[in-house]
Amino acid sequence: MPDPESGPANHSRPARPDGGPAGRLLTLEREASLQARLLARDERALVELVEIATPWLLAVAQGMLADRDEAEEVVQEAFTIAWRRVDLFDRESGRLIPWLLRITRNRAIDRLRGHRRRALKARRLESFQVFGEGSTAPQEPDEAARPGWHVHETVHAALRQLPVDQQAVVHLAYFEGLTHSEIAGRLGIPLGTVKTRLRLAFDKLRTGLASIREWVL
Amino acid sequence: MTPHEWFIEHRTAFVIRTLEADEERSFREHLAGCAECRSEIERAERDLAWLPMGVVPVTPRPGLTRALVDGALGMRRTSPSWLVPLALAASFLLSVGSWYWAWSTVRGFEDDVAVERERIGRELAMTRDTLGIIRQAAMVRHADITMGGHKGGLIIFADTETHRWNVMVYGLPAPRPGQVCQFWFITDSGMVRSVPVQTQMGAPAFLTLGMPSAPGKVMGAALTVESAGSSNSAPQGPQLAHLML
Repeated sequence: MPDPESGPANHSRPARPDGGPAGRLLTLEREASLQARLLARDERALVELVEIATPWLLAVAQGMLADRDEAEEVVQEAFTIAWRRVDLFDRESGRLIPWLLRITRNRAIDRLRGHRRRALKARRLESFQVFGEGSTAPQEPDEAARPGWHVHETVHAALRQLPVDQQAVVHLAYFEGLTHSEIAGRLGIPLGTVKTRLRLAFDKLRTGLASIREWVL
Repeated sequence: MTPHEWFIEHRTAFVIRTLEADEERSFREHLAGCAECRSEIERAERDLAWLPMGVVPVTPRPGLTRALVDGALGMRRTSPSWLVPLALAASFLLSVGSWYWAWSTVRGFEDDVAVERERIGRELAMTRDTLGIIRQAAMVRHADITMGGHKGGLIIFADTETHRWNVMVYGLPAPRPGQVCQFWFITDSGMVRSVPVQTQMGAPAFLTLGMPSAPGKVMGAALTVESAGSSNSAPQGPQLAHLML
């Protein structure tokens, strides 16, 4: 939900944690206010959070589960936890949206592994794609104005900086939720190679993404 | 590579959850006692906090946002007023129908109950049998075990009437990834491989074992650490316990 006080994100300039041009969709102050109101059991804060975060959480869960209904269930679980257990959220060590993203991803992985949906994952091999040129292009007219689009662009750029073989293992590991051995089987490469590629890739990603750690949507 | 070096090398894999299930379990147990790894894991999580945003957002289906809010609040949406009389009529029809349905399905429930009673009966018989081995045990042997800095033990209840053993292994952590704890019979013709033991902190492992079919009189038992998947007929790894009857 775009902030009525700000215009669409400016893609040519980086967002800043203090609510720079692209970061004004959800400023630090607004995020802090959102957290405080959630703790105070303000239902309007929950509505606000759901409107901001749902497109991203749905995408994370759907990318792993390949099932829209199940992805919606996972997102529901994430918001239910956020609402009921917001007191557990440590404001000192993390941010609200990343916390929700992590809950969603972990829940999706738990379901994926619990259901042993290996056959389904294998069928999705054909749809596998690394982080191509077109993936940051907005799919809808107002998508660039969506809260978080500037973060998406930055993360996507960091992913595209990786060599293609590293992009492939990161995609399967992080965005499809496969384990080391599953990736080795999928790509037909030794387990040690998978681990090495992932280690190299994530060393670069940690460096590349550390600068946006304090960003807001 | 030392055990801790393995954990250092796999910190990122733990954060992004690419470890296999048993490796992930071992890592969680390690984290409980390693402040350095906990701190590094938290750092990695913070560095990668926004990585999930690499996905292309999905537009929610119409009405989903409202449903998610209602679901999180644990409530349903308020029905429009015109639905109230309709709901009352429907509930009357439902109550009549449900009475008939309950009567006709009660027989089905009786069948389900009978199946469940049979299952519980089987489990009770198995539990009584296990307890019987312990109560009738002609010999009880115990050995202390130290593994990875943890102190545990192995207890064998040997029932000489039914020629079965109840074996309990307690207080030991899960072995390192790629390893298993292996139980062996010691016979007068040598060691005989038995079954792997699933050790786990806080959850003692219980086994009921018959005597090995291989020739030879059983004289004791041993517990060793072996490579997972190994089928060697003699122990190759370090010995955790050695008990003679």
